[in-house]
Amino acid sequence: MMTLGLIFKEIRHRKVNFLLSTLAVVTAVALFISFFAAAGASERETARLMLSMGFNVHILSKGADINEFLLTGLADRTMPEDYLHKLASQQAVSYNHLLASLQKKILWRGLEAILTGLAPEICPPGGKKSPISYQIEPGSLYVGYRIAQALGLKNGDIVEIEGKSLKVARCLSESGGVDDIRLQCHLRDAQDILKLPGQVSEIRAVDCLCFAPAGDPVSVLRKEIESLLPDVQVFHTQNIASARAQTRQMVRSMFAVIMPLVVIACGVWTGVLAMINVRDRHEEIGIMRALGYGSGRIMSLFLGKAAVIGVLGGAVGFLAGTVLAAKFGPDVFKITAQAVIKPQPSLLAVSVVFAPLFVAVASFIPTTIAVTYDPAVTLREE
Amino acid sequence: MIVLENVGKTYHTRTGIVKALRDINLSIEKGRFLVVCGPSGSGKTTLLMIVAAMLRPTNGVVSIEQRNLYKMSVHERARLRADNIGFIFQMFHLIPYLNVIENVVLAGGAAGKSKNAAYAEGLLSQLGLTERAFHKPAQLSAGEKQRVAIARAMFNRPKIILADEPTGNLDPDNAAAALGYLSEFHRIGGTVILATHELQAHKFADEVIYLRDGAIQAH
Repeated sequence: MMTLGLIFKEIRHRKVNFLLSTLAVVTAVALFISFFAAAGASERETARLMLSMGFNVHILSKGADINEFLLTGLADRTMPEDYLHKLASQQAVSYNHLLASLQKKILWRGLEAILTGLAPEICPPGGKKSPISYQIEPGSLYVGYRIAQALGLKNGDIVEIEGKSLKVARCLSESGGVDDIRLQCHLRDAQDILKLPGQVSEIRAVDCLCFAPAGDPVSVLRKEIESLLPDVQVFHTQNIASARAQTRQMVRSMFAVIMPLVVIACGVWTGVLAMINVRDRHEEIGIMRALGYGSGRIMSLFLGKAAVIGVLGGAVGFLAGTVLAAKFGPDVFKITAQAVIKPQPSLLAVSVVFAPLFVAVASFIPTTIAVTYDPAVTLREE
Repeated sequence: MIVLENVGKTYHTRTGIVKALRDINLSIEKGRFLVVCGPSGSGKTTLLMIVAAMLRPTNGVVSIEQRNLYKMSVHERARLRADNIGFIFQMFHLIPYLNVIENVVLAGGAAGKSKNAAYAEGLLSQLGLTERAFHKPAQLSAGEKQRVAIARAMFNRPKIILADEPTGNLDPDNAAAALGYLSEFHRIGGTVILATHELQAHKFADEVIYLRDGAIQAH
C-alpha cells in the first residue's frame, strides 16, 4: 500500500487529532498573515499620522543666517528654484514631500504679515504620495485668521499686494500660531510680488521611514542632499523625526515579540498533538516494524502526515488571516484602511511552503520517538 | 535451519534484573513444527522475539540458514523478517483504519509485494473471509481477526511462522481452526514455532519444549 494511502486512511481514522493539529497550523498561519498585514498597515498608518506633525527637514541657502531663521522662521537668503526639481528628480532617496517656499515679512494695509509663496508639493520618482500641505492655485490667496479678522476679508474678495491682484480663496480658521498672520499664495505670485523670479527661500521635506533603526538619519540626509546641492544647509527637526522613528520602532518591536510567541505556542501545540498521535499508534508502529518496515518508511508516514497538515493549514490559515485583516483592519487602521484589506497572494505561496516545514519541525521529536520504538517492547506489552 | 547457541536475555527493570532466558541451545530444522510451552513469564515471547530478529539477546548466537542475525544491520534484519518470517500474535495487532484485505496486503509493502491483491483475496478465500474483505477490524469477531492475522502472516509466502499464543483469545472452535491453518502451513513445508498454553497444539508438533524461568526444562 502506498504511503500516501496509509496517511489519508489514518487521518480519516483519527479525525480529531488531525483537525486539532490543522487548527494549530491554521491559527499560526492566520495570525502570521494578519499580523504581517497589520504590521505593514501599522507602518503606513504611523507614517500618515506622523505626517500630520508636519515637515521635519529644512533646506536653506548656505549663506542664510541660521540664528535669524531659528528666531523668525524666515531665511534671509534665497536659492534657485531649480534646486527643488533637482531634489525631486533623484531616485531612492531618504526624503519625500518636497515643498518649496518663498517667504518674507511685509507690511500690508498697515499690518505686519508674512507673505508665503508655495510651490505645488512634489515627490521624487516612485515616492508619489498625497500632498500634506496646501495646494494653492495661481492668482489665489489664503489669508490668516488675524489678518482676515482685522481687515474684514471674506472669500471671493479681490485684493492687491504690491500691485499684484489676487482673489481671496480661503480665510483660514484660527491656528494660534504664526499662520494667523500669514498671506499664502502660489510661488509664482510671491516671486512677482517680491521681485525674486526663480528664487525660493526654503525647501521643506519629510524624511522617509526607510532608515535603518541604528542609522543616523541626519547624517544620511545631509550626505544625500549636500552631495546634490553643495551650497545649501540642511536642518532636521529632531523632536518630530524622533517621534516618527520611535513610533515605527515600537510597532516593529511589538510584532517582533508577539509573532515568535505565537509561532512557538502553535509549534508546541502541534508537537504535543504529534506526540499523542505517536503514542496512539505505538502498536501499529510495532507491528509494521515486525512486518519488516524500515525506519524510513515509518518516518515517511509521520512526516507525510505533517506535510498534509502543513499544506492544508497553510492554505486555510492564509485565507483566514486575509479575511481577519480585511474584516478588522479597517476598524483599527482607519486612515489607510483601503491598503490594509489588499490580499497578498505571494504570502499564500510562503504559507503552503513554510507551514509544512513548521509542522515537520514541530513533529520532529515525536517522529524520532516513533522511528526508534522498539517493536519487541511494544509487542511484548500485550 | 534455525540455531540458538547459549542464548540468554536479561532485562534491567526498575525492580531489578530479570533473567528472561538462560543459556538456550536449540536447533530447529527447516519444515519442523516446534511448540514452546510454559507458564506466563517463562520467556516464550522473548524467545520468539529473539528468533524474529527483533530483540538482541544479552548473550549467545542466533542464526537462520547459517546467517548470524545479530551481526546483520537493522535494515538487513528488517528485510529478513519481511522476506522470511510471518507473525501471529495473541492480540492480533491489526491496523484499525485498514480493512481486512488492506491489512493483509500491508505485509507485502515491506517485501515489495504491495500490488498482489489477488493473492491476498485467495488467502482470504482459503480462510473463509471473502465476505469480510472490506470490513474494518472493529467489525470482526475475535476468530475472524485471528484468521486475518494468519492471512497477513502468510502473505509474503514466509519460510517461518512465529505464533505467540495465537489461540489465547479464541473460543475452542476458533482455536482449533487457527491451529489447523498453522498445521496446513507446516504440511506444505513451512517451519512453525508456536508459543502456547494450548495442550491440543501438541498433537500438531514435531517437537515440544517446556520453558520455566527462562530455561528449557524438557524436550
